[in-house]
Amino acid sequence: MRFRVLVRLALRNLLRQARRSLLTATAMVLGGAVLMIALPLGDGTHEDWIDSAVRMGVGHLAIQAPGFRTSRKLADRLPADARAVAERALARPDIAPHIQNSAPQLAVDALASSSSTARPASVVAVEPVTQAEFSNLDEKVVEGRYLEADDRLAAYVGAGLAESLERKLGSRLVLTAQDVGGEIAGQLVRVVGVFRTGVPEIDASLIHIPLGTAGTWLGSGDDVTSIAVLLDSSRRVRSVRRELRAALEAGAESDGLTVIDWRQAMPELDAAVRVDDLGNYIFQFIMFSIIALGIVNTVLMSVMYRKREFGLLQALGLTPRQTGALVMSEGIIITTLSGLIGIGLGLFITWFFWRGGLDFSSLWSEEWSFSGVVMDPVIFPAFRAIRIVQSLVFILVVGVLASLYPAFRATRVDVAEAMKFER
Amino acid sequence: MNETKSPVNEAAVRTDEVWKIFRQEAGEVQAVRGVTLDIEVGEFVAMAGPSGSGKTTLLNLIGGLTRPTRGSVFVAGRDLGKLSSRQLARLRLEHLGFIFQAYNLLPVLTALENAEFPLLLRGVPETERHRVVHELFRKTGLEGLEDRRPGKLSGGQQQRVAVIRAVASAPALVLADEPTANLDSVASDALLDMMAGLNRDLGTTFVFATHDPRVMERAHRLIRLVDGSITSDEHNASRSGV
Repeated sequence: MRFRVLVRLALRNLLRQARRSLLTATAMVLGGAVLMIALPLGDGTHEDWIDSAVRMGVGHLAIQAPGFRTSRKLADRLPADARAVAERALARPDIAPHIQNSAPQLAVDALASSSSTARPASVVAVEPVTQAEFSNLDEKVVEGRYLEADDRLAAYVGAGLAESLERKLGSRLVLTAQDVGGEIAGQLVRVVGVFRTGVPEIDASLIHIPLGTAGTWLGSGDDVTSIAVLLDSSRRVRSVRRELRAALEAGAESDGLTVIDWRQAMPELDAAVRVDDLGNYIFQFIMFSIIALGIVNTVLMSVMYRKREFGLLQALGLTPRQTGALVMSEGIIITTLSGLIGIGLGLFITWFFWRGGLDFSSLWSEEWSFSGVVMDPVIFPAFRAIRIVQSLVFILVVGVLASLYPAFRATRVDVAEAMKFER
Repeated sequence: MNETKSPVNEAAVRTDEVWKIFRQEAGEVQAVRGVTLDIEVGEFVAMAGPSGSGKTTLLNLIGGLTRPTRGSVFVAGRDLGKLSSRQLARLRLEHLGFIFQAYNLLPVLTALENAEFPLLLRGVPETERHRVVHELFRKTGLEGLEDRRPGKLSGGQQQRVAVIRAVASAPALVLADEPTANLDSVASDALLDMMAGLNRDLGTTFVFATHDPRVMERAHRLIRLVDGSITSDEHNASRSGV
């Protein structure tokens, strides 16, 4: 009963001080709107980074031999039987619906040599048709074409590497690496295509060759070092990884298999996402601290102005704590209502960018890359229901924190003094 | 509950060597100085004295709105000094009614809502609240003004609403601080008639702090205070013009 009385009084008081309430609410509406614009845009940016990175070939998840991530050696490869186990796990009914694509790959560090010079190269042997569906690297072609199913001794080379080796379309180059027996082995390939991703470190080192060519060259046959997996959404990485691990552990012959996600495969990108998130959170924290100070100020002013009222309420039988609860109710009601309106406003504004995205191309005209990712100047917001819940909770916490001190002051009112106050 | 019963249980109010000293930058002010007082159930008492004589402070001490520097105050048999703020709030809600000089109605509530506020806090059902308050509105000539906010009522009407608020829950003790100070003589007489009727019909104990000769004239008992001390305490049956 008393709770309802307090809420009713709080609502009436907010309406009574309409101008002050409106000012407080406006700050929170704007804060809520900015939050609801910034979070989906930030999430959209990260989605874009992750999507761009995983489509370069790494995948959201990769099934590998346990030691391969650190050793990068052919000794830590997946033999045909382990590969079959992994592919069966991917085909399970609880996992398969979330798999957009998967691609077997054999990665090896090599030396690429032309007649004039040599450069270190990261050679990834792929099944051309599968890889073309999996990755967007085939779309980055600037000369020639991507690998095709019946290609032998063909190479799809990064533009930076081709330039430094002084190789052109149709030129030959020699790849040298340790084979499965630990012996140095060379392989002659011909450049069938040159690509440019915009990421200098990739363009200067990556070569794709057919998996069959690598099998002959390195003596690895059909073995691979990784099965890269593309999911329908980067948000499912954790759950699918867990299910995939469980599925692999259930297989008797799965001892030699592990599942890593893109965060482990690309720790620098993971760090970039975290740093960007942290930056956003710090900005939001500062913004809401300023808003909270504004709320503290207006609510505190209201408390000082209404000392007589609080004294009266206590004279009539409210406890000091209930008087504080009244002030808290006012703070919470106004922040929650205005926060909800702000979130609605933010979603409404963000909605305009869902189709066409927010175009920043006027701010940077050249390709901009970092952490192995090319930044797209058009940002598409990503909608997540959890962000609404998080924003609401955050706004509610701000409302509670901002009301704490004024509520405390209301509990400390000297009733006799307060009643004398307005005389 | 850490309470001490008054040695005189039938007294509505008992103060025992009560002092209230305010410490200020200019020095200390002894607002109430060693007042010992018994007020029996059903009394209609006026405390009179010049400004600064300590009558409002004594009223606040009896109402538990301020705590004594020394001494004890017993209300309804309970030592207020031993009650927590929560227990004091409960005592005020269940046993006391306050009437203030400045009316002190809540501006965000209507006249009816102001009047029924203590009943609302006590959890009295709406139909019962409305029955009691409407009856009091009718008796005090406020019928039809139930939905008005305090700002739309005259001073006399506001004070009558404040009185209804103080008595609607039938408290044992009503403390009234200069209740007629802002009213004309007609409104003052009407208000006093109303309170005297409640005293007579329900046995409600009234304690006034007042300058108003009309209140002093109608009180059963007149206590005079000067500089925080009682200088005279007169019982007079002939003043039972109530």
